[in-house]
Amino acid sequence: MASQAIIFRETKDSKGFYILLAVLGAFLALGALAFFHAEHHGHHVTGMTNQVVWGLPHVFAIGLIVAASGALNVGSIGTVFGKKIYQPMGRLSALLAISLLVGGLIVLVLDLGHPDRLIVAMTTYNFKSIFAWNIILYNGFLALSAVYIWTMMDRKVKKFYKLAGVAAFTWRLILTTGTGSIFGFLVARDFYNSAVMAPLFIVMSFAMGLAVFILVLHFAYTWTGRPLGDVVMNRLRYLLAVFIGGVLLLEGARHFTGLYIAQKAGVENFILFDGGIYTQLFWVGQIMLGSLLPLSLIFCRKLANNRVALLLAALFTIVGGFAQLYVILIGGQAYPLVLFPGAEVSSDFFDGVINAYEPSIWELMLGLGGVALTLFMVTIGVKVLRFLPDSLSDAVADPHSK
Amino acid sequence: MTSKFSSVFLAATLAFATLLAGCSKAPTEADLNLATAKAKADQCVEPESVIRTKHMDLLMHQRDATMIEGIRTKQHSLKECINCHVSTTKQDGTPLHYGDKEHFCTTCHAAVGQKIDCFQCHADRPQTDDPNYQHTVGSTAGHHFTQGVTAAAAPTAAEVQMVTQPQQGAAK
Amino acid sequence: MNQNRVDEYRRNFMTTLGGVAAVAAVVPSFVLQTAHAAGEVAAKPVDQAVTNAKRWGMLIDVTKLTDGGAGMVAACKKEHGWGDEAHSADTQKAHWARVVKVTDKLTQNSFSLPVMCQHCENPPCVDVCPTGASMKRADGIVQVNKHICIGCRYCMMACPYKARSFVHEALQDQKPHSPRGMGTVESCNMCVHRIDAGKLPACVEAAPDAVIFGDLNDPNSAVSQAMKTIGGKQIRADLGLNTGVRYHGI
Repeated sequence: MASQAIIFRETKDSKGFYILLAVLGAFLALGALAFFHAEHHGHHVTGMTNQVVWGLPHVFAIGLIVAASGALNVGSIGTVFGKKIYQPMGRLSALLAISLLVGGLIVLVLDLGHPDRLIVAMTTYNFKSIFAWNIILYNGFLALSAVYIWTMMDRKVKKFYKLAGVAAFTWRLILTTGTGSIFGFLVARDFYNSAVMAPLFIVMSFAMGLAVFILVLHFAYTWTGRPLGDVVMNRLRYLLAVFIGGVLLLEGARHFTGLYIAQKAGVENFILFDGGIYTQLFWVGQIMLGSLLPLSLIFCRKLANNRVALLLAALFTIVGGFAQLYVILIGGQAYPLVLFPGAEVSSDFFDGVINAYEPSIWELMLGLGGVALTLFMVTIGVKVLRFLPDSLSDAVADPHSK
Repeated sequence: MTSKFSSVFLAATLAFATLLAGCSKAPTEADLNLATAKAKADQCVEPESVIRTKHMDLLMHQRDATMIEGIRTKQHSLKECINCHVSTTKQDGTPLHYGDKEHFCTTCHAAVGQKIDCFQCHADRPQTDDPNYQHTVGSTAGHHFTQGVTAAAAPTAAEVQMVTQPQQGAAK
Repeated sequence: MNQNRVDEYRRNFMTTLGGVAAVAAVVPSFVLQTAHAAGEVAAKPVDQAVTNAKRWGMLIDVTKLTDGGAGMVAACKKEHGWGDEAHSADTQKAHWARVVKVTDKLTQNSFSLPVMCQHCENPPCVDVCPTGASMKRADGIVQVNKHICIGCRYCMMACPYKARSFVHEALQDQKPHSPRGMGTVESCNMCVHRIDAGKLPACVEAAPDAVIFGDLNDPNSAVSQAMKTIGGKQIRADLGLNTGVRYHGI
């Protein structure tokens, strides 16, 4: 069969496009409402407290940011590692990466006590702070991804394609290292202070980013009536399995280390065995639904080439990722700080007790608003610029497949 | 680019821009309620023209000096502005806060539409349990200029005697 | 010579007299340091920056605190006005200081102590703050510069002592000497306004028999001498933060 050229085209005007925008717009409006509500009244309307200082918005924000760097991987595999089959998806990959990062950052920023002082955060840096470094890393990621898209779209700068791809890929690895280190550098909390947080977040980003990419790719193609073949999807399918396995490996290493070190055993036992909701989220949410179920869906022979099974696998990978982040963030804060090892402590400021956290509807609305913003940006993006190949059918994507 | 979508998008952007542009209107002096400000203008720590144009810079400088270096001179201290210019209550005896139209800072800031967040943290009226909170500017009880400052030239023995003679009872 | 200049000299002279009086007042505590006088703070000229020549700190003798430090906490609350946030849940109300009761699991030995910002030499909260709002002053006081605090709460995640609170609602009628407001993080600042005025922190004043306050850099200060004699333990000394608040009897 003769190879066909890859043609990129904007999505067509359709009723579905506007309906999608309207639905996303509604979630954006709810997110905005939640922001103004909390901004006006203060954080007492949220479930966050002086014990659990980072809540559901941070789970959403970090989830989106982590997925953002992972979504860029599809493009990087094509550009950096020269896998031709991935190259047509590079543009969407970078667009999705930018959108996810913006969606995550907006949640993070709008949850600040002083979102109006964003300019301070952008101009006053404490270079000892990994958080300050992250601000630079986020901005750089947005810029590099934009340049990467440019080199893919404009023939005149095509010669910089490889360079931009390598730069963006390197940057994203550093970025996720930074995100993981936000927790890894916290000496005060036994559940966090470990160098493994950085690689763990990187492999989490691989899995979550790819899962999001699979879902977005599928719906972008089916809703616009473009052909999407099994060759492409099966590549992504087995890649997803590898990444899920990677997460399990590092999670295992982290928890076994924790159980082994007496100082960390308390919080590890809490999370793994008697942490109530956190234990359930860990075993049921992250391990069973978020890891083992997607792996079975991917490797079950009867479900080979089954698109629904792949979509479910991707969906549950995302569910598992969020469960994992919830356990890390909220579970890690629910366990009390240890002021006096080996002693029972009590006070009128919740020393020595498991801290309760119940997310409010406002936090959920804000988080979903960030997700909606991401999808809104992608929807507009593929509409106004040439991000999507006309076809990713087997004949186009890989002429030698048959 | 598809024409229908882009035209909708452009129209929405234009409408929003027009809306924003319509909101700005420079206030005139007549709009401002400057009576409280003018009342003490001649006693202020800086000439009126300086205060009007530079008070934010002076306060900003003082804020960093106090916060970071512990310099607590009173000439440009926000607390002293409040002590001198703001009364604790309105005419009807209810507490006077920033945002009320009688509040010294609000009189201008509301009219020029300049939003400030000083009073999210700082007290917007003098502490009421001190009956002498509204001191006379420049008085010995006052908080301005050079009280406690070491850099000033040392007085001669004669000058010290002249100054301290009538004050000995008060000094401690 | 005009009248303004005379006024100026008069004021300067009186300040000097005030300084002499302050020094005279603290002399007994030098002499009687074994008697656990509350310590000393020399008045600093208001127009001069603090330097790292001094490092403020305190020694809290838990064995001499009959109430476990409740009086100190109450004095702090009165001085700074925290803890009465009307809309916030109990878990959201500010706590600059609290009394912690500690019971050893094995020996059942029990004691209470006041816990607040420990004013570390190497404060994790300062390291993690993205804007530099969480800061350590040259004289060792750790505090939040609320002017540039964006309310990210990373410092609260980093503090091993849970010394920091986030203000969850709008406040009004704060103490003029202790600004605090919605959307910013706050904590014990060692009563920096009192120290700069040559006064002892409110909590130290509330427990003069149990707490000694002073300059940790000066080997002859009452607090240094007392620590040399009876020791001064840190909470979570294993973290290597070298705290400025030390305890005896924990």
